[in-house]
This record gives sequence, structure tokens and C-alpha cells, in this order.
Amino acid sequence: MSKEKTYDLFAGYKLLSEMWEKQLMDLLFKATDNKEFVRTANIGLDLHSRYMERVRKNQEFIAALMNIPTKKDVANAAKMSIQAEEKFDSLEEQVWNLQDGLASFSKENLTFLQEIINTINQMKAESLKTKAELAETKKIKTDLQDLRQGLVDIKILQVNLQEMCKELEGLKVIQAELKDSLTHQEPPKTDRGLEELRQEIAQLAEIKSEIASLKELMGKEKERKQKKEPEKELVLPGASTTK
Amino acid sequence: MSARVSTKSFLPLLNIEKETKRWNQLYKVMTEPKPDIIPTPRKCVWKKNKTTLWYHPAKEKKHAVPVFLVYSLLNKVYILDVGEGSSVVGGLTERGYDVYLLDWGTPGLEDADLTLENYIIDYLENALKRAIRHSGAKEMSLMGYCLGGTMAAILASITSLPIKNLVLAAVPIDFSIGTVPQKWLDGIQNGELSFDRFANAYQTLPSEFLYLMFKLITPLNAATMANLYTRAHDEIYVEKWRRMDKWTKDAQAFTGAAFKQFFNDFYKENKLLKGELVMDGRKVDLKNIKCPLFVFSCSRDTLIAEKQSLPIMDLVSSEDKTYEVYEGGHVSLVLTGVFAEIMDPWLSTRSHDLQEIRS
Repeated sequence: MSKEKTYDLFAGYKLLSEMWEKQLMDLLFKATDNKEFVRTANIGLDLHSRYMERVRKNQEFIAALMNIPTKKDVANAAKMSIQAEEKFDSLEEQVWNLQDGLASFSKENLTFLQEIINTINQMKAESLKTKAELAETKKIKTDLQDLRQGLVDIKILQVNLQEMCKELEGLKVIQAELKDSLTHQEPPKTDRGLEELRQEIAQLAEIKSEIASLKELMGKEKERKQKKEPEKELVLPGASTTK
Repeated sequence: MSARVSTKSFLPLLNIEKETKRWNQLYKVMTEPKPDIIPTPRKCVWKKNKTTLWYHPAKEKKHAVPVFLVYSLLNKVYILDVGEGSSVVGGLTERGYDVYLLDWGTPGLEDADLTLENYIIDYLENALKRAIRHSGAKEMSLMGYCLGGTMAAILASITSLPIKNLVLAAVPIDFSIGTVPQKWLDGIQNGELSFDRFANAYQTLPSEFLYLMFKLITPLNAATMANLYTRAHDEIYVEKWRRMDKWTKDAQAFTGAAFKQFFNDFYKENKLLKGELVMDGRKVDLKNIKCPLFVFSCSRDTLIAEKQSLPIMDLVSSEDKTYEVYEGGHVSLVLTGVFAEIMDPWLSTRSHDLQEIRS
């Protein structure tokens, strides 16, 4: 296998460089890893800092004498624009908060309005139902009035019938009397009596026909009453199942 | 005969075409200006001072929970968006995440008083709030890299904002240990080495100083150059290398107040680990972190040691916590875009799949 390997100049160079770099890095690491280096570095930093402080101080002093702005003045002006930017940011955040507040408020309002609309719709539906029920109730009322009128008529008929019954009883008595008189033969009276009797019989026939018609009427009223009663049960307002 | 064959195979066969390409590319690297970094398609959501909150929409949205990325104050923004094919942001948008990236910007002299507290409360927390509002999502995954991870962990432990997942990559939590020589750390801890006067003198530390500081930690870059010479014939590699080189040399300025706080509160007193850190009157207790946590370190990290990240696993209250080690370096983790690859399997299961929601 080793015979197949070819020499690559750059691969060798890379390998050597990496090796050398590592070695040198280790050497530098060890050479600087001591207190003396740290102290010397600190002294160097201090000296350089002192020098820089003096340069800056003199720079400011000369610039003040020459009445020209320094970088510090420019920086101060820039700071003001940064402050303005911060204020804008804070205002923007406040606007956000307001927007969020309004958004949540309008959302609450929307749900509230939705609830109101739902309630109104429900009320509308119920009022329509109530209206229909009211119309039914009115119809029932007129029917009831008709029934009451019918009952009054029936009562009048009853009174009439009672009177007729009394009259019939009277007629029966007259009949009996007539029979008695016929049996005792009283001719003058009989002729008059017979005429009266005929008249009364004719009246009786009329009364009978009236009674028959009344009975017919009563039967019809009863039938009407029976028909109306189930409807009455259905339309009673207190018995409504919908709410 | 066999001796002739073996000699022939041993000697390098000169591939003229390959070599021409190699040296042309090298010449290009040496002479041409640094490449322009083209960011992943983005939209500005919020600006404050030098800070910008960028929104990178997903190419095809697959996850309901967006990702908020925080990088280190010591870096430039394009560390997480270095260009197509290597971008962490691009990798995440391709995988169906909406991404928010907080660009710290470059501080000027007027920002000298900005402390880490200002950065975390006034900038990071506000940006997260705005990202949540902009996305319309109920929760957001927070991802922090390097010092950005420390800041993300601090924010997650004090904020009331809804953080769904917390991802921390190469994050320093324990500052009593490090990759620098121990005597340096001892010097900072016992006050023998102080940057206070230096920070006061400069007010805002120039980017050159930060570049020197990183150079002091990793002074040699022979391996990086060797990598370039070795693979200079590969155009794609050279393009990536140039972008990485640009980022390495493009250091960031740092505000004096934040620098002092960084060294005193973190390196000197290790307040985060001890639970003594206070931000805006709120005590930073990592126990307050209850969301799912994913931490990963780099095995060849020369800036943040694995031991610096590990303590967070015991300090948080999260029941769902995962720790992984990535075989690579601190910078290659993000500049190669592998970060998105590592993060996706863990994050996708915790980001409410849109298809599942629809079904």
C-alpha cells in the first residue's frame, strides 16, 4: 500500500506548518505564562494609558483655545440624537400599548355587541311567537264570546221551554177538564170548548215543532263546544313551550 | 522495472493546469481587494443608535417558531452571515426558519458609556420584544454565539419575554478558566493586570486594539496560510477563505464601559457563575432558565475552552437539555455555516412544524 502513495508537496508543507505553529504557540504560551510578563504588560498598559490621557487632555485644551470642536463635541451632539431616538422608541412602545389596549377593548366590545345581537334576535323570534299566540288568543276570545252568546240563547230557550212545559201542563189540565165535561155532557160549553181545544192543539203542534228545532240547535251547540275545547287547550298562552 | 515505477509514483506529477490555477488564485488573493459580503435577503425591522435588527425570511417556512441570533460584541455582524454556502443565517432560512439577527454595529466615542447592562437590557431585550411583535409568533428561539451566548443566557434568565428554546454555541460561562496562560487570568483576578485606566483613556476601544488582543491569544496563523496554499486550486475554497480572512482582520471596536465590566464582573469576579451579577436591578440567576437548552462546544477551540461552557448544564433548571461537542474550531463553526447543520436536528423538533400544525 505504501508504494502507491505519491508525495504531495503542499500536503507536506501543510503538515510541517501545523507542526511548527503548534510548537511555536506552545513556546510562546510557556514564555508568557509568568508573573513578570503580566506585571510588565500592566506597566506598559499604564504608561500607554497615561500617555493617551495626556494626549486627549492637550487635544481638548488646544481645541478649546482654537475654538474648534473636537470628536468629543461631535459625540455629545450624537448622544442627543441617540436620546431623541430612545424617546421615539419609548413613544412607539406606548403607542403599541395603546393599540393593544384598544384592540383588546374593541374585541371585548365586539363580543358584547355580538351577545346583544344574539339576545335581540332571540327576543325578536320570541316576540313573533308571542304575536302569533296573541292572535290565537284573540280568536279564542271571539269564539268564547260566541259561545257565551250561544249559552245565553240556550238559557232563554230553556226559560221558554219551562214556560211551554207549564203551558203544556195547563193544557193537560184543560184536556182532563174537557174529558170530564164531555163525560158530563154540557153541549153549549162543548162547542166552545172544542174550538178552544182545537186552537190549543194547533198551538201545541207549533210548540212541539219549536221544541224540536230548539233540540236541534242545542245539539249543534254541543257539537261546536266539543270541537272548540281541544283548540283552547293548545293556544293557552301560559302553556307555551318555547322560551 | 519495478524500481522505475516506484520512483515515478513517488515523484510528484506536475499538473500544469492545477498549478496555474493555484498560483493565479494566490495572486488574486494577494492583489485584489477583500471580497464584498453579500448578506442573505433581509429587511430592517428596527434601528437604535448603531444597532439594527434584521429580519431574514425563510425561503420556505417550515417552522412556526422563529430564531433570534445574537453574536459576540467583539465580532462584526457578518460572522453569522458570511455569504452564500457558508452563512449560518442562510443555512437556517434554507431549512425553513424565519431568522432575526441583531447587528450590534460599530460603537463610536458617543457610545463610550454603554455597559453590558445597556447592551442586554436596552438593545437585546428590546430587539427581542420587537422581533416577537414583528413575527406575530407567540414564542421565539434564542441563539447565542460566543460572548453573544453569554448575553443570551443572561437575558434568558432575567426576561419575561417568551423564549421557546435556548441554543448556546461556544459560550463562556465560567471565566475563572480560559485558553490564555493561567498567570494572565491570575493577574486579572488579583488586580495585577487591569484594563480600567486603558479603557478610560480610550473611552471607546479602537478596533485595532481588539485585533491586537486576538493576535495575542493566537499570534500565529501559519496553518491558515498553509491551508490556502494547499487548496488554492479550489475556487470555492479560496472564495470562502477570502471571506474568512476579511472577517479575521476586520475587528470590532468596543465601548470602554462594557470592556471594563467584561473584565471586572466576568474575568475578575466571575459574577455570572457565582450568581452575583445584577442587570437593571434584576439578579442574574441561571436557574431561572427553564426552556429547552442546547449547548455545544468546539473541540479545537482556541478562544473558549469546553470547560468554560459546561457549568451551565448544571446551573439551569431546564429539564430538556442537550450538550454536544463539535469537531472543529471556534471560528470555523460559524464561518463554514456548519452551525445551522448542527442546530437544525435539535431545533426542528422543538419549533412546531407547520405541516404538523396544519394537519
